Amino acid sequence: MNNEVNTSTKVTRITCAVHPELGAQVAECLITLGAHTVLVENARSVRQRIRPRAWGLPGQHVELENSPIELFRTTVPRDSALQVIETLTQTLELQTPGRGCVYAQDIIEYSQLEPPIIQADPCQETTAFRDYTLINGILSKVGGGERVTETALRLGACVPIVTRGFGTGLRDQLGLLRITIPPEKEMIQLMVPSQDAAGIQRLLIENARMDRSGGGFLYQTPIAAGIVDPLLRIGQQEHAASMEQLIAAMDEIKKGTGWRKRFADLEEQKRDARFITRRRYAEVTLVCSEGKADDFVLAAMDAGAGGATTERVRCLSASDLEGGIGARERGIICVPTSISDRVVQVLRDMSDVLEDPLCRIQVLDSFSVFFHQR
Amino acid sequence: MSSSSRIKIPFRTAVVMVGDYAKSRILDQLKSVSFILLYLVGFQILVLGSTPAHALRVAGGISMVVLGLAFFLEGLILGLMPVGERVGVQLPRRCGILVIVVFGLLLGMGSTFAEPAMASLRAAGSTVTAWGSPLLFSMLNQNALALVAAVAIGVGVAVAFGMVRFFYGLSIKPFIFILIPLLLLISGYCAMDENLQSILGLAWDAGAVTTGAVTVPLVLALGIGVSRASGKQEDAAGGFGIIMLASAFPVLAVLTLGLILNTDMPSPASGAEFFNTEHLQQALSLFEDENAMHQHALRMAGEDARAWFPDQRMGELTSSITDSLRPISEIIRQESLLALRAVLPLTALLLAVLWMLRDRLRHMDEVVLGIGLAIVGMALLTTGIQTGLAPLGDQVGRPLPRVFSSVAKIEGRVILSPFSLDEVRTAFAPDGSSTQFFYFQDKHGTPQVESFDPQRFDASTASYEHILKSKPLFGPELTIAGIGLVFLFAFGLGYGSTLAEPALSALGRTVEEVSVGTIRSKNVVLAVSLGVGTGLMVGVARLLYDIPTFWLILPPYLILLPLTYFSEEDFAGIAWDCGGVTTGGITVPLVLAMGLGIGGELNVSDGFGLLAMASAYPIVTVLIFGLVVRSRQKKRIREADVEDEDE
Repeated sequence: MNNEVNTSTKVTRITCAVHPELGAQVAECLITLGAHTVLVENARSVRQRIRPRAWGLPGQHVELENSPIELFRTTVPRDSALQVIETLTQTLELQTPGRGCVYAQDIIEYSQLEPPIIQADPCQETTAFRDYTLINGILSKVGGGERVTETALRLGACVPIVTRGFGTGLRDQLGLLRITIPPEKEMIQLMVPSQDAAGIQRLLIENARMDRSGGGFLYQTPIAAGIVDPLLRIGQQEHAASMEQLIAAMDEIKKGTGWRKRFADLEEQKRDARFITRRRYAEVTLVCSEGKADDFVLAAMDAGAGGATTERVRCLSASDLEGGIGARERGIICVPTSISDRVVQVLRDMSDVLEDPLCRIQVLDSFSVFFHQR
Repeated sequence: MSSSSRIKIPFRTAVVMVGDYAKSRILDQLKSVSFILLYLVGFQILVLGSTPAHALRVAGGISMVVLGLAFFLEGLILGLMPVGERVGVQLPRRCGILVIVVFGLLLGMGSTFAEPAMASLRAAGSTVTAWGSPLLFSMLNQNALALVAAVAIGVGVAVAFGMVRFFYGLSIKPFIFILIPLLLLISGYCAMDENLQSILGLAWDAGAVTTGAVTVPLVLALGIGVSRASGKQEDAAGGFGIIMLASAFPVLAVLTLGLILNTDMPSPASGAEFFNTEHLQQALSLFEDENAMHQHALRMAGEDARAWFPDQRMGELTSSITDSLRPISEIIRQESLLALRAVLPLTALLLAVLWMLRDRLRHMDEVVLGIGLAIVGMALLTTGIQTGLAPLGDQVGRPLPRVFSSVAKIEGRVILSPFSLDEVRTAFAPDGSSTQFFYFQDKHGTPQVESFDPQRFDASTASYEHILKSKPLFGPELTIAGIGLVFLFAFGLGYGSTLAEPALSALGRTVEEVSVGTIRSKNVVLAVSLGVGTGLMVGVARLLYDIPTFWLILPPYLILLPLTYFSEEDFAGIAWDCGGVTTGGITVPLVLAMGLGIGGELNVSDGFGLLAMASAYPIVTVLIFGLVVRSRQKKRIREADVEDEDE
């Protein structure tokens, strides 16, 4: 078997999160554009619902409300990423609050498939902003994400996207005792303005008590371009436009989010540094047929990775390119850059051993990694 | 490999870890059982004014229920469900649809034989008489095997259909819209035949009961696996709907069996007519032999039956109902065997399929532990139900009719000997009439005034046959409050027992997992419990007011069809699955105890229909719950759209 997984390409990963009602549109749009495969994952978004207090009491009652969303991921050549974002934004009217968000991340992908050729008119002007950063959180317990999402919403950061995954790592080295530790993890994605990312991350760590054992893991990955969903609050609204809509409008006028930088204090910036490691990390994402992720992860752990979180995703193929079986696993392994090459190599070798032609490996820089250290 | 090297955990730490883990699981189950427990005991003490009998044994049984639930659920999560899901994912990858269909058929049929619902159906039909409803009697006794086979075929076909549906990503709705009206039509036809109408309750109950605690999670996991592997966009939250099919097809199968058997069945008649010499041969066809027929007549009709067979010598009633408690060890042995039978063959089938597909499970130790836990848990659970929960339900259910009955009920008779007429006193009424009475010490030792019936006095032996009567609880007039209490009891019983139902919590977990937490498990369980409570109230109404089964079944399903139409695909699947899941190991014994208690009092011919109701109404509540949740979630997009247009 010729080892084509070894061919690395510089591509862009597009992630689009929308309400399931719009899901079919996203899939159709991406496939019409020429995307080979689209990975779909069920997720939920969390918003604040604001209600007047019961019995006519003064004040408002704020509660978190979950709603289902679907996450679509596909890879496209870097030069057509903006067109894809633009097309998605227009088809799905993503600029309207509450419909969803989309972002692009530049990655290096190892796959047997050539990157798709996107059939879209090149766009000159884009509505997407380039100054966002993605804060990724992996919480060790289901329900552990509540505090993080609550904090993020209170800070007005963005609409958090929560997915569920299974952790592998330390747990698997405990023998049968592992059953006492639930494998389910909650994964959170927050799209925040780059200049405030460190500050927001610090507040998340402090408020969500992630700096305690059994907390979780946080890191940031760069976003090349993206459109956020500004609908953080739903329910009673007293003005013609919500604060989030005003901010979105200002962003548009200012052509970016730089004007709303808030964590400017030098003292704070110094404190921010306490919460992150200086080492550079790489987020290695692995997509493989369902049931094989464990073998990949074990191999990666042998190569020095600490562990992985796997999620279950469905693959929508444009054609019968990948055998028509849709169940996939998506593993996320965060490793220091120093060993990332080795881990990627091991994974690539593994895909040959396991004869998994569906396998693809994506590498993305990550920084500001935080995990609880005893 | 370095990663597979174990981390050594000191023994004490390990004990703490396991302890914490076990504690949290057991506390969860304690919480889920607590409602029904407090409810039953509270009802018994406050309303019926008695205290639980055999308290120690019952308490032991209840602790077994709690432990059993914790073990069993953990077993499902660790062992059974992962295996089922794995098979579901692997099958479509390696095999064609034909193999999958055959596998589904086997699994469905196997599950019926592994978890036979026959015992509970027989219990529900324990008051059925051969002359009152010959067809029903025949299906429960002589043709019991055919009934089980029909149900098995129904479940098998259902699972096979479910697999096809997931494989091609078909919607559940057409299945519902074809199957349910068809079932209603056949039921309507059956309702017009005096013999067939008796099996309606049986058929719909069979549908509800068949999907047991092991089958549901296995089939659910399998379906989710297959649906994920097929990767159709339409069933994003797919995998549900198969339990619904497994409840509907058996109804069809049982009704069909009834239609076939009905061709040479005697018509229902009074006992005397039924065993009339000209019909005797036909009547005899329902029994093994003449003796069995006599025994049945004697058991069901008492001494009256002797008059029906004037020219024949009938033996004494040989087997009488023994009231003595079975030793716990015997129950444990029996239930352990049943648990083995419920868990092992099905998991063995799945593991064999995995082995044939040359797939291996990564955490085989975990799966083996899970299967072990499931067996132990199930044995504990069913033993606990038999020794604890069911007797408790029985203690409340049987005397429950006293709550609404306005006439004293005959409890038994005693011969008072020697009895002298000197002991009889006379009481005068203001109008000058008189009654005779004597004093009788009740079980509390208090002398009670009892009226004297001269006919029962045998002067030759100086003995008096005294009829023991239990007095109505609320006196002769207060029946409305009593009936209200019965409805309240039925609702609480359904609500509480469903909260503890293990298959439902497995379903709830799956729903929460698949929906990434947007639909919370506890909300699903709550909606279902409310539905079961409502369903039981309707079921009790059937017993109280003798509503024909068909008119009981028709309304909920007529509501369900439009509700389903307006519901979203995933919620439709979840809701209809909930219907099949609700009637499991905990609900069924409790519901039957209540149904038989009330039914026996009112001389209702059978206790069927309660379970069918308990499985129809949860679908209604869950669909409504789904519509409410989704309309709130959808409003968001709409709101956004409106804002957009405003701009």
